[in-house]
Amino acid sequence: MTLLEIFDPKAAARPVGIDLGTTNSLVARVRDDKPQVIADCNGARLLPSAVHYDARGAVIVGKPALLLAAEHPRETIVSVKRFMGRGADDAETKRLGTYDFAAPSTPEEAKSVRFKVHDKVVSPVEVSAEILKALRLLAEDELRTVGGVVITVPAYFDDAQRQATKDAGRLAGLDVLRLLNEPTAAALAYGLEKQQNGLFAVYDLGGGTFDVTILLLDNGVFQVKSTGGDSALGGDDMDRALATRFLKEMGAPESDHGLVRLALDAARQAKHGLTDFETVEIELPVQGGGTKKLTVTRAEFDALIAPIVERTGVACRRALRDAGLQAAELDGVILVGGSTRVPLVRAYVEKLFGKEPLGDIDPDEVVALGAAIQADILAGENAHAGEVLLLDVLPLSLGIETMGGVAEKILPRNTAIPAGARQVFTTYADDQTGFDLHIVQGERELAADCRSLARFVLKGIPRMPAGLARLEVTFRVDADGLLSVTAKETTTGVEQNVEVVPSYGLSDEEVETMLLSALDHGEEDFERRRLIEARVEAEQVLAATRKALAADADLLSAEEHARIAQAIADLESAVVGERTAPITARTEALDDATHAWAGKRMDRAVARAIEGKNLNDVERDVAEAAGVDAHVEAHASMTRPS
Amino acid sequence: MADPFETLGVEARFDLDLRALEQRHRDLSKALHPDRYTGAPPAERRLSLGRAIDVNEAFRVLRDPIRRAEALVRRAGVAVGETAEPAAAPALLMEMMDAREELSDAARTRDLAGIARLGATMTTRQDAILARLAQAFDAAAAEPQKMSGALPILGELRYVRRFLDEVSALEEELSP
Repeated sequence: MTLLEIFDPKAAARPVGIDLGTTNSLVARVRDDKPQVIADCNGARLLPSAVHYDARGAVIVGKPALLLAAEHPRETIVSVKRFMGRGADDAETKRLGTYDFAAPSTPEEAKSVRFKVHDKVVSPVEVSAEILKALRLLAEDELRTVGGVVITVPAYFDDAQRQATKDAGRLAGLDVLRLLNEPTAAALAYGLEKQQNGLFAVYDLGGGTFDVTILLLDNGVFQVKSTGGDSALGGDDMDRALATRFLKEMGAPESDHGLVRLALDAARQAKHGLTDFETVEIELPVQGGGTKKLTVTRAEFDALIAPIVERTGVACRRALRDAGLQAAELDGVILVGGSTRVPLVRAYVEKLFGKEPLGDIDPDEVVALGAAIQADILAGENAHAGEVLLLDVLPLSLGIETMGGVAEKILPRNTAIPAGARQVFTTYADDQTGFDLHIVQGERELAADCRSLARFVLKGIPRMPAGLARLEVTFRVDADGLLSVTAKETTTGVEQNVEVVPSYGLSDEEVETMLLSALDHGEEDFERRRLIEARVEAEQVLAATRKALAADADLLSAEEHARIAQAIADLESAVVGERTAPITARTEALDDATHAWAGKRMDRAVARAIEGKNLNDVERDVAEAAGVDAHVEAHASMTRPS
Repeated sequence: MADPFETLGVEARFDLDLRALEQRHRDLSKALHPDRYTGAPPAERRLSLGRAIDVNEAFRVLRDPIRRAEALVRRAGVAVGETAEPAAAPALLMEMMDAREELSDAARTRDLAGIARLGATMTTRQDAILARLAQAFDAAAAEPQKMSGALPILGELRYVRRFLDEVSALEEELSP
């Protein structure tokens, strides 16, 4: 019997997971405890990550855009993910492709690559937002209302690339619950299905990015030990290697964008064909008309792509070393990403790790499925919500430039996130009133060789002799892997807090402006939208507080309880009104009233987590946990009873 | 910075069982990670981020023998850090200089086996230092004035660690 789904206008907003890929993007949701990819009305599950801007200003996304790519190579942006968070002069802009880049007119503009399409200029964030909007519409067709969203990013994405992805989500009007690393998402999908504990490597070779992650699965906890990769390495590079050869055969210059597009498409087809066949025949147009038939063998293709595949080995060996593990200690290797279908890649992974890799979940879908599960968990809807936890790491070291241009590492790569660090600086000249801070990300010795994240000047330090001022700079990396920096001058007791948002990110105002210009009725719509957002936020805070009261009201004094009850009543009366300001103010007041209580609730949660477990019990648990063999440093010995 | 032993709720001693420590870190993460508080009041969401950071930081300190030792010394109210500690013995400095010379010779000739051998010797030495450090901290637990006895051993450990870091860097750089 077929069950008909009845349209419910008040259907609750449902969480979804999005894999925003270089080549294809997907959206997935959890239904009856099973993650599933949402297909479009034609049954297609993969949305090609292609965006076409037509002459009349319309935006076309997906397969129709891809079909227009050969004819309109410069107005059709493909593989936009490779440009996320990249500067105008990034090496990525100089590789074989059909893009028309806009020359930056200010240093501010140079911070981001921008494409020229017709008479306007679009940033990678805006192009990605179009893909995300298309996925949102797809999901809304099935779910009516989309709630919180988890968007996946390559584990090796740096802060700029993550920030750009999150901005794209906001611009697409999505409530981004979390950015999730792709290999971790894949491990989540595998882990929950197989119910297996142990150490795993996730080898994720996509269209434009490569990640390797080593993680420990222990009864629902997915703990990343180390991660590595290359955010500019993937199937696209294989296509380019082959396309360069085709262009020679065609007698076409690399400046002919139309022919380059055809060569790249032919290369991709040949690559796909060579997954199942030893040889493929390709028909190429030649300069001056006519076509030419060309046979490509798998051996030729393998020789062309071997350098690309071998580059992944460097990252894998380093990830193993960072985790303190040998390949033989792994319990399994998981393959993710469309490019792992290439036979040479499979053979290479098998040789590298000494075991046959697992690939029984579709490598194109597994990341989106994991993202859907995480979204479901974060929304508190999943059956596994209480037991599953993803513990991830910072992929690339964060540091600051010190005297002599050396990058001093503040948080080393593979530090568990969320993470924080404090560093104290002092003045080097008498009466110095400001500091220049340059924050970088990467593993190289010199700051100039690392990725520059933010430069800023801290001013207002009181005049005093050199070396006396104390400036405390705090770095925080949240669970999305995003950095924020605050600084304060502590000597004089004058605490100056400076919130520093890395310069490439969009400010809330910029996002608002961009959203505003996209709305038909401008201001009016915008006010309405803000009211609705304030109400949603208020309802969430009310629900959360009521839930907390049901669980832990006993931690409150009668006085505190009364204050919270009053704040709840105040907010409840404001929320039915039509004005935004009182709702926001009373939401804050309720937040304020619950502040001290929050600490007590958290102490209770901690006490429960380690209840009755002194370290001896923990040792026994660890010894009994099957398949868990965390690396132990050689000098460790037993702890005495505490 | 808060006392990392207190943050993780473990006994303040040098020879911690690292596997048990890891388990404790996981248990606390389960209770404090921001993912656990997505539906919680905003005050709790902010607090969970701060406390999860503290737990991760404490774990990072305690699983690293050098930083663990520093935390123990600091707890006892003794200043730590290379500038505050006694200068290294000349014999140790000579010895380390010789070892470094051998290492740079091996690096120059791309002698990977030689580098690995030097690394293995130094790892053995590191194990012995760690055992001595554990004894020194045990002695200081009984008689607090003995805490400064741990400092020269800690200094030696720093030299050995730096050497081993260099070995890993060379292995990474030179391996095919």
